[in-house]
Amino acid sequence: MTKATRAAAVAGLIALCVALVAASLLIGTENLSLGRIYAEWRSGEPLSKTPALSILINQRLPRTLVALIVGCGLTLAGCSFQALLRNPLATPYTLGIDSFGAFGAYAATIYGGTGGWLTFQFLGFSHVQALAFAFAAFDVLLIYAMASRKTRMAPSVLLLAGVTLGLLASSGILFLRYLAKPEQLINMDRWLMGGVDVIGYEPVVTLFLGVTPCAIILLAQAAKFDQLGFGEEMAAGRGVNVNRLQLTTFLVCSFMTGIIVSKVGPIGFVGLIVPHAVRTVTGSRHRILMPASLVAGGAFLCLCDILARKLMTGETPIGIITSLIGAPFFLYLLTRRRFTDWET
Amino acid sequence: MTRTLQAQDVAFAYTPPLDVFTHVTAAVRSGEVTGLVGPNGSGKSTLLRVLAGLLRPREGKVLIDGRSSGHMSNRQRARILGFLPQLVNPVFSLSVFEVVCLGRYPHLGALGATQPHDRAVAERCLRDTETLDLRDRDFMALSGGERQRVLLASVLAQEPDLLLLDEPTSALDIHHQIEIFALLKRLAGEGYGIGVVTHDLNLAARFCNQLFLLSHRSTGLVAAGKPENVLTEALLSEAYDAPIRVCRHPLTGAPLITAEEPAEVTP
Repeated sequence: MTKATRAAAVAGLIALCVALVAASLLIGTENLSLGRIYAEWRSGEPLSKTPALSILINQRLPRTLVALIVGCGLTLAGCSFQALLRNPLATPYTLGIDSFGAFGAYAATIYGGTGGWLTFQFLGFSHVQALAFAFAAFDVLLIYAMASRKTRMAPSVLLLAGVTLGLLASSGILFLRYLAKPEQLINMDRWLMGGVDVIGYEPVVTLFLGVTPCAIILLAQAAKFDQLGFGEEMAAGRGVNVNRLQLTTFLVCSFMTGIIVSKVGPIGFVGLIVPHAVRTVTGSRHRILMPASLVAGGAFLCLCDILARKLMTGETPIGIITSLIGAPFFLYLLTRRRFTDWET
Repeated sequence: MTRTLQAQDVAFAYTPPLDVFTHVTAAVRSGEVTGLVGPNGSGKSTLLRVLAGLLRPREGKVLIDGRSSGHMSNRQRARILGFLPQLVNPVFSLSVFEVVCLGRYPHLGALGATQPHDRAVAERCLRDTETLDLRDRDFMALSGGERQRVLLASVLAQEPDLLLLDEPTSALDIHHQIEIFALLKRLAGEGYGIGVVTHDLNLAARFCNQLFLLSHRSTGLVAAGKPENVLTEALLSEAYDAPIRVCRHPLTGAPLITAEEPAEVTP
């Protein structure tokens, strides 16, 4: 692909993202028209008397922002893990982070809640969110411990370890479900399907403050990720401090995905398919791939959220939608020849 | 710039106290092709990594022009030493030019953006390895010989003074093996210092100026020096623990080495 077509593709991507954000703001259970919003804004009435403007500001905008931030964060984490583990299947989801987070959330739901011994609030995190974060981050650190010096597991083995940890957490979840009271199960299961249907700006602020610095740090590793593409020794020979890169990436990704999972629950396949889809357009230089994936990831989750609102009357959990789109799309990508080169 | 990379009385162990080698002193100098040879498991690849600064010796020092290489930053070292591991396969699909540009890493700023100067260097390295016509091809789609030359170009793009290569010809046919070694010899003639690990004693005999023969039997060096002094039946038989015969190459006059079949064991 020539430089010009590549630039055009990136420009198109950005335009698509802007269009999807606009659509996400206007489309919903009640569709808002620009004219109506403008009229209500010109009227100068308070929000309580301007229903369209109120929906826009109190519901659509925070929700769209959450979808954008979460999409950006998950995609960037996926991109980084794929580069670090030199494996196309490495993502937060496949490494078991979401399952561990869900396990934490389940445990908190059973032992917390009204009257439970595990009820607290910490920096705007409920006990459910805090435990989800803690377990999600714990999963990544566990994998890092296996990756680092002593055992020095190969990347493909690490991925297997992550998948196994995910399965372990899933069994733990089944066990907790068995222990839970029927009325708790409904809340638990809803949590497992993920959702960006927030109201108000508290989650937006938390996610923004959590994800932004992590995203900046990961983007700054782009040139190093390029070097890792030819193996750790080659990268080390070029002057990359591979151990430090590993530590940085694992720490930052565990923190970032931990925050995301705690706020919106598990949302799979975003970190898997978006980087791969973008790679076919931008090529594999991370300096281009990562920012482009960031934009595409935000746009993709906005699209999924629009579908979540419009697919049925009432909400469809967004985690279900990303998986329903993501899995077949990934299978399609797998059948492409370009992709078969990825054997490690 | 004339450089000397020297391992001084080094010992290395992956799992101490089990030394791979001890008391090894070896040097790679500008203008020479230096070969590290020896049987499987003798530690020649390990020695190359110690020289490259990728492994820290248990004892002894690695010096670049008399200065300890351990005190340099990774990037500083990468501007002096280029290292090419055995059989590198990328995970991501990149064009040949992109692969060569990756070699500019130790010269780039924090964001890793290549400047016109960097691209000019990459271009020149493609020309030096006669791979300029492959410039826009997909690296994955190249043949083994082409890949190896492109990888060599990418290491040259680091603008190092010394090149350390781990079995650069192990996956190549006989013609491409000679081609790569001829290229290494030419680069040495241009002033590069080259350290190369190889299994092929005949290539080493023909193209290397200096040889270091290692053996696990002596956990270290068996011999060092000019090929005709190192590649003798007595020394090789000792190093490989097997009967090795040496004669003269009818065309080049270099030593021609072959192993004898193991004596049949009578039950």
